[in-house]
Amino acid sequence: MTESAPALADNLHPMVRLSGIVKRYPGVLANNNANLTVAMGEVHALLGENGAGKSTLMQVLYGACQQDAGDIEFAGRIVRFNSQRDAIRAGIGMIHQDFMLVRPFTVAENVMLGLYQGGAGVLDVNTVVTRIRLLSERHGLEVDPLARIDQLPLGVQQRVEILKLLYRDARLLILDEPTAVLTPQETLALLASLRSLVADGRSVIIVTHKLHEIMAVADRITIMRNGHTLATVDKAATSEAELARLMVGRDVLLKVDRPEQVSGRRLLSVKALQVDDERGQPCVRNVSLDVHAGEIVGIAGVDGNGQSPLVEALMGLRRVQAGRVVFDDNDVTNKTLAARAARGMMYVPADRRRMGSLDELSIEDNAILGSQQQFTHAHSPWLDRKAIRAHAEALITRYTIRTPDSHFHAGKLSGGNLQKLILGRELMRNPRLLIVEQPTRGLDVGAIEFVWAELLAARSSGMAILIVSTELEEILNLADRIIVMFDGRVMGELAGSAATNEQLGLLMAGLQSQE
Amino acid sequence: MRLQFERRLTAESSWWVSSVITTGAVLFAFLICAVLFLPYTSSPFSAYGALFAESFGSLRGFGLTLNRAAPLILVALGTCIAWRAGFPYLGFEGSLAMGATVCAWLALAVTVTESSAFTALFLLAALPLSFAAGGVWAGAVGVVHSRFGGNVVLISLMTNYVATFIVQYLVAGPMRAPGSQPETPRLPELTWLPNLIPETRTHAGICIAVIAALLCWCLLSRLRIGYELVVTGLNPVAAGYGGINVGQRQLLAACLAGGLGALAGVVELLGSQHRMLDGLSGGVGFIGIVVALLARLHPLAVVPTAFLYAALAVGADALQRRTGAPSSIIHILQSLIVLTVLAAEVLRHWQIRLKPSPTAGGSLHAG
Repeated sequence: MTESAPALADNLHPMVRLSGIVKRYPGVLANNNANLTVAMGEVHALLGENGAGKSTLMQVLYGACQQDAGDIEFAGRIVRFNSQRDAIRAGIGMIHQDFMLVRPFTVAENVMLGLYQGGAGVLDVNTVVTRIRLLSERHGLEVDPLARIDQLPLGVQQRVEILKLLYRDARLLILDEPTAVLTPQETLALLASLRSLVADGRSVIIVTHKLHEIMAVADRITIMRNGHTLATVDKAATSEAELARLMVGRDVLLKVDRPEQVSGRRLLSVKALQVDDERGQPCVRNVSLDVHAGEIVGIAGVDGNGQSPLVEALMGLRRVQAGRVVFDDNDVTNKTLAARAARGMMYVPADRRRMGSLDELSIEDNAILGSQQQFTHAHSPWLDRKAIRAHAEALITRYTIRTPDSHFHAGKLSGGNLQKLILGRELMRNPRLLIVEQPTRGLDVGAIEFVWAELLAARSSGMAILIVSTELEEILNLADRIIVMFDGRVMGELAGSAATNEQLGLLMAGLQSQE
Repeated sequence: MRLQFERRLTAESSWWVSSVITTGAVLFAFLICAVLFLPYTSSPFSAYGALFAESFGSLRGFGLTLNRAAPLILVALGTCIAWRAGFPYLGFEGSLAMGATVCAWLALAVTVTESSAFTALFLLAALPLSFAAGGVWAGAVGVVHSRFGGNVVLISLMTNYVATFIVQYLVAGPMRAPGSQPETPRLPELTWLPNLIPETRTHAGICIAVIAALLCWCLLSRLRIGYELVVTGLNPVAAGYGGINVGQRQLLAACLAGGLGALAGVVELLGSQHRMLDGLSGGVGFIGIVVALLARLHPLAVVPTAFLYAALAVGADALQRRTGAPSSIIHILQSLIVLTVLAAEVLRHWQIRLKPSPTAGGSLHAG
């Protein structure tokens, strides 16, 4: 019972104590004797690989499911939540990765939703607006209470989610991967707000993979592995390297070895590309770049500076307004994606669940997406199920996708395994140019290492690779040349070996580095 | 002990759990509906017995059930293909009418020769021609949708009225039989669908329907083009990423759906009515959609579901004769089946568990 809190100092009062939590699902022991103690006024990070049981433990805590064994003690009392409503009434609230907001409603209306107050059914918007202003000022959660949700950027929508909980006076806030959708600036603001919340006597649990954010904001860290809580450590007494080791159970080299290599002929040449967004505003302005065989070119930049439209235009998924895309001396500017794929241009999209795969279909059916023509009996419209199964099984073995079998639905795979499936699928099509958007977004350290190693191996084999990533660490580790985008333009190009964080930071912020 | 609902980790999707749940839901609907029989008979279950004795008990009744089921299956198959490709087409009444009209025109236009091969040759021409007519009719909705956008549900629903008015014009004007109701002359007997079981009115429509069901199943689960249709329906963005031309695939699905709807019209025309008239379908174009939804858009599951619906319809009259209960009870039962099957969907996401009740185990579970 007490092993859960080795680092909890005597003068800290526990806000919540989970002891011996067991949660079984058919065929899976999701939580196996998990213990977690969160003190009043601390930011507690919950760290673990995909499938380590973090989400299940949090679901038990905020009432989305009930434990099979174990106790939840909240504010000194044993409690049992039968629903999220119970949990929020007790003072525990959860913010999911996908926000639960009514998009055509204003901030204030969203905050009011579900509140029962005032007689006669009259909604008093003004009181709500005033209180939102007060709360947002106090915790640095800047937001206009009268703005409509669908007009707000993701970072601000997240603040609305936090305000919703604060309005209900939640004492314990749980945030699941809160920075996955945020720009670096928004991330900094969020972390500051979290500190302000705990200064207020509230407690915060953040579930995350990002070690540097944990080191920036957390007081204590609990590491989960295989459904149980491995250890709880003080931030002051640990390091990113130790956390990574505890999480995956082995030393992670987040510094990879990129052997020197002479790049080959030019495969992709983009000339003065111009692309418009949905509203007809230019979002890619006059972008030119080359990618050669056997090199990795990294496109760095804060999310939303034209990287995605650029990649979509390169793959023929978005209309090009002006400029040319030349692949292997063929102008493919107006060719379809299928025609480009036939020439050897493959693409791993950023949105793995909504674009790169089909949740409801099996691994087998996902393994042939894009090359379904190749998996038919010779010269017939019939699918060759035997060949498809063999292909899927080869994919599972070669890229160590953890799954019971090849009929398993892709939607039930963890993020890391899904990315292995998509990346492996594209690599097995023998691309000459591979475009990878956000190769490791949301993945755990083990999966990141795997993806990086595969990309470097593909480079050694002479493949041309274009990576778009918002993670500087990734760009610096992988790219031979780095192109920085800001506001749809190329701000500058740096050699991978010579680039520094500072230089990149300036370019990403839209400032020309001083010569 | 008490019953408790518990959320499943992931929605149950295996076919046998689905069929157990669906069958249970249908039986539950029968149970509820039994109450409505109480004023008329002391034993509701004998009423059900009478109902099914009519539709399955005699060869004649069974034939009628088959005749009813055939067009239902065809419309439901069209629904499966269109809806699974992400094209929520509701214009089956229209494509059915158009298919039947074209078929009636052909049957009245050809010169009948008293040769044994005539019927076969006529069907070989009439089925593809009507299929094409229905395909063009529904394909037009697909073209409008892909070129100009717009809501498929609304557009396709409206085309039903257009088709109805065209049929009304034709049977009241150019195609009207002299001096009779607004309907065409009776079609030559040799153009009718051949009889399957002697002494009954069972026609070959059911063969067309079952073959079509097998073909549709092959298409959706065995053919490359079917894979592309399903992917398109599940997620158009992923389909585009997979190099699939989403607009083209949905257009294809629309054409196939319209064609199947037209075949339903042909079966109704050449099998039962033998003349073209307004209101030929008797609502099959909509009931077929319900059948497909109950069968979870699975082409093979459509066949037994359509049988059930057809059997209920055939048995309804016998029920009224034997027990005095109004045959509209069957409509209530059909609606109840829709409700219970939809409600049972919950069981794919939740499971029922027996738990020890808190009072019984109070001393052990204190606190």
